[in-house]
Parts: sequence; structure tokens; C-alpha cells
Amino acid sequence: MIQINGLTKIYKLNAKKMQELKTKENTKVAVNNVSLEAKPGEIFGLLGPNGAGKTTTLRCVATLLKPTKGDIKVCGFDTKKEGQKVRDSIAFLTNEIKLDPNFSADYMFKFFGHLHGMKDEQILARQEELFGVFGINDFKNKKIEELSTGMKQKSAIAVSLVHDPKVVIFDEPTSGLDIVTARSVTDYLKYLRDQGKTVIVSTHIMSEAEKLSDRIGVIIGGQKVEEGTLSEILEKNEAADLEDAFFKLYSKYNPEK
Amino acid sequence: MSGMSIIIKKELKRVFGDKKLVFSMFILPAIIMIALYGLMGFAMGAMTSDIEEHENKVYIVNADDRLKAAITASEFDKNNDLTYMTESEYRAQEQKLSDEILNGDSQMIVYLDPEFEKKFTSYSAAGDAIPQLIISYNTTENYSSNTYSIFVAGTENKPGVVDAYRTMLLQERVGNLDILNVFDMQQNIIQKEEKAKSQFVAMMLPYMIIIMLFAGAMSAGVDAMAGEKERGTLASMLLSPIKRTSIASGKIIAMMILSGLSAIVYVVSMMIAMPVMSALGGENTPMAGGLGGLSLDLVQGLELGAIMLALVFLFVSIISFLAIRAKDTKAASSLISPVYIVVMVAGMLTMFMSGKDVPIYRYFIPVYGNAVAIKDICNGELLTSNFLASLAGTVLIAIVLTIGIAKSFDDEKVMFNA
Repeated sequence: MIQINGLTKIYKLNAKKMQELKTKENTKVAVNNVSLEAKPGEIFGLLGPNGAGKTTTLRCVATLLKPTKGDIKVCGFDTKKEGQKVRDSIAFLTNEIKLDPNFSADYMFKFFGHLHGMKDEQILARQEELFGVFGINDFKNKKIEELSTGMKQKSAIAVSLVHDPKVVIFDEPTSGLDIVTARSVTDYLKYLRDQGKTVIVSTHIMSEAEKLSDRIGVIIGGQKVEEGTLSEILEKNEAADLEDAFFKLYSKYNPEK
Repeated sequence: MSGMSIIIKKELKRVFGDKKLVFSMFILPAIIMIALYGLMGFAMGAMTSDIEEHENKVYIVNADDRLKAAITASEFDKNNDLTYMTESEYRAQEQKLSDEILNGDSQMIVYLDPEFEKKFTSYSAAGDAIPQLIISYNTTENYSSNTYSIFVAGTENKPGVVDAYRTMLLQERVGNLDILNVFDMQQNIIQKEEKAKSQFVAMMLPYMIIIMLFAGAMSAGVDAMAGEKERGTLASMLLSPIKRTSIASGKIIAMMILSGLSAIVYVVSMMIAMPVMSALGGENTPMAGGLGGLSLDLVQGLELGAIMLALVFLFVSIISFLAIRAKDTKAASSLISPVYIVVMVAGMLTMFMSGKDVPIYRYFIPVYGNAVAIKDICNGELLTSNFLASLAGTVLIAIVLTIGIAKSFDDEKVMFNA
């Protein structure tokens, strides 16, 4: 279970960043008063354009960033006060966080298993399952740096799930993957949901969000502008599909317009 | 296994699991050091024997029979090309001969006063004219200055021509030369044997240890912190449910092991390289005795080990702290370079330090205090209180920096540029 209450994240900008963003303000509101709840046994899709605040929100959930305002609870643990317990309950996958290219998927899997306090036999059992699902056994002993983008992503997903966490947070998990690999990832996310896990996935691919998510939250300009099941969102916005609904919301809330 | 030991194991595997990295970190420096010192020894040896064997061109003007006899007695004529000239021959080409010396085409002109004999024999009391011996040579030319020194002072086995000539003339004038010897002087040297043997090592060792430990820590530290941050692999560790201090100390201990090993490789290579250099370059090569002049008892060995350990801890924590605060490896390297210079200077200060009355507070100064303590160990003069002070200052700063590193792992601005 993930409960986000009034999450606001404000970055302080240095002179260089102010110049890059062409602003005179020395702060940037990345996430503005976002509240949402992702429950066990459901996939919550976080939808939004680049720079909308999806990754910042998820990083706050994963304890990598501290909320400026508001609070987040993961499986009942507060991200600010009980970071270690939160990290033990989650799998977090994002493009910017990578496996060490000098090691094999096999070594990384065992390394992170040990960091999660798992015993060797538990790690082996998990490895058998996850390496089988993602077809990693064929390249498990190759160094990460020698793997293709798809192989790297599959390895990263498997490693992130080593400790069988209750909550799975994947930030754009299919980005850069071919259609076959992307399908295996989304299928496994559904499997995790069916196992009773809380799954939260951020994406800017409409079709993916449509097919995968039980509930969807739309973030634009740091604010959550819509939340509901696919049919609720379509009905509310009088749209034929999610892309239609998204563009209606985008033209309504995009601050630059 | 605790989080810290898992991290140490992984960091060590990263290096020892990569043959290329092992080669470049531990084997290549040893090969380079031995080859470099060997080459230096070979070059020095070749230069010395070239100077010794060179046939020097020397003009001798107005030589009398005594000078010729002195030249033969000193065997100065054996390896050198001597041209005897009269006053008029010399005056006819004086400028040309001077230019030859300047250009290195000839090595020396020995000019005897034309009235040498007359002035020598007619001398009877103070104030009388004494004859001149003028030697022209070029101090910027190795062959020329070497010819001069052999002509004047001779070599180990042969007397100098000037000395021999002077003795001949004195004997002629006073008869018994012993009359000029009014007393005998003997030297009685009182010194600590170990200090005498290790004086040069005591001067160089603190500097060498400091430089080697820092260089080892630098190569391991920049990549383990800034490199991992840049590649996004450090963040994956920050997502695991272990304490930030466990990650920081795991990484620091692994780096201490690596840089300690690399320092040992350097010291061992130097112990091999020095004799190689002296074998190729002869006994006069600097540090020809290697580190052999230094002998330590068990306590001194342990003290040296403890100081080296404290220094590695300090260097690794300084480098890691700067590397983690830097945006990327490039920025980390440019932040660390000035620190390297400061550390080098601190190590060098002890080289030119004399006297042993260093106040205890100075031992607390990291790097400098350690360098003084290492020097004291070599001289057999380190007091326990000074030893403890030098450890305390260094370890304290290193602990503060380690806490700073752990805090940096929690600092989103540092870790994610947020």
C-alpha cells in the first residue's frame, strides 16, 4: 500500500540551472500537493508528459528524495522516519539507477539479495524463478556492460525484485525495450498484481497505461489533475480513448498554454 | 554478513575480478618503477663512464720539466691529448683556443707564467713576486670540469698534477717537507649507529610513504565514489535497506585495503629498483643502498604500520569525501589535485627539518605530524606521546570525513543534483 498525502517537492535552483530553465525564480515546484493511494492487488498507472513530476514523486516514495511538504507511507512506514523499512518493502526501478556494469547479473542478484539480508538458499530460489521468467539464464554470467539494452533492463528488473517486495515501483519500465521484451515486462507486472502486490508504474505511453493500469493518475505540471479507472476518466472527460482524455486534460492544465 | 562486509567484498571483487585492473593497479606500476630506476641507473652509469673514458684535449703553455714530470707521475697524459706550446705559439692563437674551450672542442688550457722559474728561484721574503699558474676551463661542460678536477685534485688512486707539482717545488725550496707539518689531526666521530645508517632514508621515507599512499588512494577512490555516482550504480545501493554509514565504511575500508596494497607494491618495487639502479649506475648513485640502511625493531615496525594505516584512512576519506561531493569524475579529479599538492608539501617539509624538538601539538597536524613521526621512527627517536598524538589528529579528521560521506549519501542535492 502506498499513501501519498499532499506531497510537494520544491527544488532550489542554482544560477546555472536558473539560466538553463530561463527563469528568474530560484526555486522550482516539481510536485505540487499531490495525494494518491495505490492499493495491494492493483496496478496504479502514473501518466504524464516528460518533466511533469512523475519521477520526482516516485523517488520521494522510494526515499531517495525528501518531500518538502506532505508525507508518504509505504506499507504503513513513513518514508522520512523509517526509510530503511520502506526500502526493504519496495522494488524501485528507474532509468537513471543502474546495475554496476563491471559485474554479471548473477553476481548483482546475489549481492542485492545479501544486502536485503537474504540467505543463499532463498536467493537461489528467487533467482531460479525470476531468471526463468525473464530468460536471463543464457546471459547471467556475462558482464552487464556486455549486454543489450533489453537484457540490461530484464536483469535490472529481476535484481530489483530479488527480495520479493510487497510494493513494486517501476518508472517507465518499458522505455527503450523492443515489443517482445516490453510485453514480458508488462505481463510480469500483471502477475505481480495478481499475487497481491501493490504496483505503481509511471509511463507516457498511453496504450501501455490503458492496457496495464487498474487505476490511473494523470500528472501535469507537478499537479495531479485526474484520478480514476480508465472508464471513469473517459466518461468524465467525454473521450473515446485515454490519449483523447489526456490531451483534453493537457490543454486545460498545461501552465504554458 | 553485515551490510558493510558485503560492500567490502563487492568493492574488492570489482578490482580483483578484472585482470586488466589488477595489472594496471598493481603490476604495471611495479614494472614501470623497476624499469625507470634501472634506466636512470643505466643512464647515470653510462654518463659517468663516458666522462671518465673521454679523451680530453688539453693545451699546456710554457711547461717546465717539473710540470712534465708531475704529469707523467699522475698519468694525466695517458687518456688525454696534450699539446705543449711556447708563449709565442700560444699568443698567436689565444682567442681561437679560448673559443675552443667555450664551444667544448677542447677542455682546458694550463698556462704557466713565462717567468715562473725566475720568480720561483728568486723568492726570498714575503712581498716578493710569486709565479702564476692559470687554468682556463668551462664549468658548463662536463668533460671540461672533470678534466680540471682530475688535473688539480687527481682521482682516488692517482694524485692531481697540481698537487704533485706543488710538492716537487716545495721539496726543492724547503728540503724536508715534514717541517711544514706542525700537528696531526684525527677525527673522532660520535653518533647513533642507526641514525647514521638511515639518515638519508629518514629524510626521504616520510615523503615517499605519503606520496605513494595518496596516489594509491586516488586511483581507487575517484572511481569508487564519483564514478559510481556518475554511472548511477551508487543509487542502486542507496535503495537497499542498510545504513548509509555501512555503505560509506564498507567502501572506505575496501579502498583502504586497495590503496594499502598498492603502497606495498610501490615499496617492494622500490626495494628491488634501488639495488637495480645502483648495480647499473655504480655506488655513487643516490639511494644506492636502497631502504637497506633502515632497520626497525618490532615496536617501531608496528608504529610505522599504525601511522601508515591512519594515513591511508585519512587519504581515502579525503578523496572519497571530495569525490562524492563532486558532480562527476572530472570535477572530482580537479578538486583532489590541489589537495595532492598540499599533502606533498606537508610531506616534504620534514625533509628540510633539523633538530628534534618538535612541540607535541604539531604531531596532531594530519600528514605533517605523521611525516615527523615517521622520520622519528627512522632515527629511533619517536616518543609514545608524540606517536599517539600523530595518530589521534589523523584518525579524528578521517572519522569526521567518513561521517560527512555517509551524510552526503543522504543529501539529495549531492546524490541526485536535486
